Amino acid sequence: MNGSYDVIVVGGGIIGLSCGYYLTKSRKRVLVVESGGFADGASGACDDMILFQSKKPGINLELAFESLELYKSLVGELEDSLGFDNLGGMVLIQNLEELEIMEEFVRQQRSYGLDVEILSNKEMRRKQPFLDERFIASTYSPMDSQAYPFSVMHKLAQKSRSMGMKVLHHSPVIDIRVDGNGDFLVGTGRGETFQAPVVVNAAGAWAGQIARMVDAYVPIEPKRGQIIITEKIPSIGETNLWSAKYLVTKLRPGTEIDATEAEMALGLGFAMTRTEGDSYLIGSTREYVGYDKGTTLEGIRALINQATSYIPMLKDVNFIRAIAGLRPATPDGKMILGEHTSVEGFYTAAGHEGDGISLAPITGKLLAAMVDAHEVPQRLEELSPNRFSAKGVMEVS
Amino acid sequence: MDGKEKDFFICRCEEVTLREIEAVIDEGYTTIDDVKRITRAGMGLCQGRSCSKVIARIIAQRTGTPIEEVLQKNYRFPVRTEKMKTLEEEPTDAKDC
Repeated sequence: MNGSYDVIVVGGGIIGLSCGYYLTKSRKRVLVVESGGFADGASGACDDMILFQSKKPGINLELAFESLELYKSLVGELEDSLGFDNLGGMVLIQNLEELEIMEEFVRQQRSYGLDVEILSNKEMRRKQPFLDERFIASTYSPMDSQAYPFSVMHKLAQKSRSMGMKVLHHSPVIDIRVDGNGDFLVGTGRGETFQAPVVVNAAGAWAGQIARMVDAYVPIEPKRGQIIITEKIPSIGETNLWSAKYLVTKLRPGTEIDATEAEMALGLGFAMTRTEGDSYLIGSTREYVGYDKGTTLEGIRALINQATSYIPMLKDVNFIRAIAGLRPATPDGKMILGEHTSVEGFYTAAGHEGDGISLAPITGKLLAAMVDAHEVPQRLEELSPNRFSAKGVMEVS
Repeated sequence: MDGKEKDFFICRCEEVTLREIEAVIDEGYTTIDDVKRITRAGMGLCQGRSCSKVIARIIAQRTGTPIEEVLQKNYRFPVRTEKMKTLEEEPTDAKDC
């Protein structure tokens, strides 16, 4: 035995570190075990968005509001800008069908408290002068924000460590057993074993495998997102950008969109963020390719073709790197947060898919409160890991 | 070496100094990727072609690890930056899958 703690967090990505931070703040002795190095997983290969406009009214949007407020306080608590910025966002609309779907969606979001509107073609072009002619209108929300994941993770780890948290890198968890007292014994690939009464499974796309070690069930699948990064260029528009094209297929399943079979297979959508370092991050694909997190020429080409057709001036911009991360996707598009009824003391905080950066602070805060109070606030019951049965069929709630 | 000598840039693209890199190593981040992700050294236009080896040497010296262990072998695609249009012009549907 190499040490005992109040809580062991499995996974040192942005979710694990946020859980670690808030647990440490509530005076728990915490160990975070990470299989790779710093930001090796999805948290280090994503766009930087704290995005509201993609979210359907409901728990995801509600938590995103709360998370945004937490980011604002973290800037003070962690004494760093965290790359936090509030550029606002626009969703680009190509045709009347998309416009109708987006108008309806904007109405729902507004009634839920999101500050969002539809801009006319002219207003859109005033904010984004380099857009291709195809776009007829856009949405605009001043609330869409961003944070720089590497700074957030580094500062969460730094602050937590100063309060006593321990982080181990390159320490993959290979087994979890329960001892005679009901404590967990967590074994790593380095031959070390750690003990704690509470384990938090924050292993992202690998959360299913970690849960299986204690016979718990977490239906998370990896969804690969490829992103390209441009050289530093001056700002080419006021806000971050998305296309409605992919979003409308989620909002109204069955909507026909103008996309090739190859683009459909890649799950191609458009998202462009101006990032720390004055580059643009341009994504993204959504591919089910197992645990392969490589970038592909096909994916990169599709991203480039899309970007240069939407914003032709990008043709002469250099791209300097391509990255890919495995988004942890759940069957119902909601994260998994809570204690497993079958294994007392075993919690999962994973399955954020593309919302990990948005929802990291609130996830950590809620998780720490659950561990502390040992109860689940009613509004979070829909996120419970117990909503899935082992057959992968959703239980009636 | 102390004081101001540590304020020179190791990564010129992203303007990261020796002092900043050593501070991160002292926090326990001891791979080129760790240092790159935290400081942005090697994330700029040249993608670390000029500074990766220097960073490896700094890590090796600071941690007492052999440089071969520190040296990163895999570069991310592309190793040379490209104008977007150079890739765009090739057809995307000429693949067989």
